[in-house]
Amino acid sequence: MMRDERAPQGPLEPGELPLASPPEGMWESILASVNAAPTRTGLRWWQWAAAFSAIPGLLVVWYATRPRPGGWEVMALKGAPMVNSERVAAAGKIRVGEWLRTDGASRARIEVGAIGTVEVEPNSQIRLLAAKPNEHRLELKRGEISAVVSAPPRLFFVDTPASTAVDLGCAYTMKTDESGSGLLQVTTGWVSLEWKGRESMVPAGARCRTRPGTGPGTPYFTDASEALQDALASFDFEDGGAAAAEKVLREARFRDTLTLWHLLSRVGPEERVRILDRMIQLTPLPDGVSREQAMALDKDTLQRWMQQLAWKW
Amino acid sequence: MTDTEREVSAELIERCRQGDRAAFHALYQAYKDKVYSISLYFFHGNEAAASDATQQVFVKLITGIGRFRGDSAFSTWLYRMVVNTCLDHSRAAARREQPVVDNTAVPLSLEQDLARSEIAEKVQAALSSLPPKLRMPVLLRYFEDLSYAEMAEALHCSAGTVASRLHQGHKLLAQKLTRLRDGLRS
Repeated sequence: MMRDERAPQGPLEPGELPLASPPEGMWESILASVNAAPTRTGLRWWQWAAAFSAIPGLLVVWYATRPRPGGWEVMALKGAPMVNSERVAAAGKIRVGEWLRTDGASRARIEVGAIGTVEVEPNSQIRLLAAKPNEHRLELKRGEISAVVSAPPRLFFVDTPASTAVDLGCAYTMKTDESGSGLLQVTTGWVSLEWKGRESMVPAGARCRTRPGTGPGTPYFTDASEALQDALASFDFEDGGAAAAEKVLREARFRDTLTLWHLLSRVGPEERVRILDRMIQLTPLPDGVSREQAMALDKDTLQRWMQQLAWKW
Repeated sequence: MTDTEREVSAELIERCRQGDRAAFHALYQAYKDKVYSISLYFFHGNEAAASDATQQVFVKLITGIGRFRGDSAFSTWLYRMVVNTCLDHSRAAARREQPVVDNTAVPLSLEQDLARSEIAEKVQAALSSLPPKLRMPVLLRYFEDLSYAEMAEALHCSAGTVASRLHQGHKLLAQKLTRLRDGLRS
């Protein structure tokens, strides 16, 4: 058993390493140090009492000076926008979790970190959800915003009651009404509207409606015929079905292949054949895209086709 | 039980606990040379570092005697403080990049003793050249004759580790001393 064993003597012999004595006066130095530092390590009752009584004050100081989550600069463009319950003067700040509200006579501008700006139109309510380098996220509850973002794709997001607008490098406006229905219009670049696995790719010059419970509708160019736009609204949100789709096909121009491309994956096989035929009628299938693959909704094929079409829209 | 411990009775420890300065002084007298010597050899003969460490150990002893509950031998408790203090000083010196190491230094307070034997100086140098983790067990063994279990407690490691380090330390020291002795004979 090693526990009680003595260690071996080793190679040193008695006298080879004699004891040394500490310098004279060390004991006095030790006493001086001890007197300078009291031996009591515990606190007396009144010290405990004082410490406990200081806790509320310390909590107040901590609360006032605690590190806050990140925030963005806000500027009043008109009137008196509010961040939470505080009026924004010439400039202010919105922090994560805070709401910015504009009334009928006010507008505001939010600096989206270092990647862009969002102008908040009258009668809007918007909240900052995340202000991180890899996630800039707002929630638009109602009203209208105009966003200009210059950053790699998927850094800026706007959540609405019916979808999330994912910036792919663009400028756009987004409106949401009291019911939560929305309308996106892209002026430059692309925006992806996403909701529960449903996705609409909206390029510059196009719009897309959104509805709570349904998500993003089918995008269309703003110069599409009114008949096409109406038929599309019927198809997307009013259960217009095959009749509405038929009307869209009749109204479609080459540029409306944006709309038809989205419809391909939102209809049954019979309707898909008709849409595919109409698309091929408007523009031949490009190299690398086969009819069979398109009918099978092969993801890579559809993406390749969309990229080819986008050059000509 | 070591010689020193035989000198330190439970009654003396109890008087220290009650804040008796005379008792503390007696304790200091009983251990000062061993604590200082271990520190001195640990710091390669650097008197200033050894004095600092020794003073700190006794200040800790006086201010912390209330925490000694007699679960282990008093000397084990004391040498644990010595080990911790030496290692803390050593780390602090490393952080300041001002190593206290001076392999050629010879403790001035030992000069008269060491002068009696030329080899004594070399022994100190040989001991100083051991890595700290091997040096401390050898010093504890040489100056206080602690058991494996007591050294393990002082060094915060297992008795097996102590045995291994002590074996390595002795082996290295023996090699160095053999070379030194051979060199002196020739």
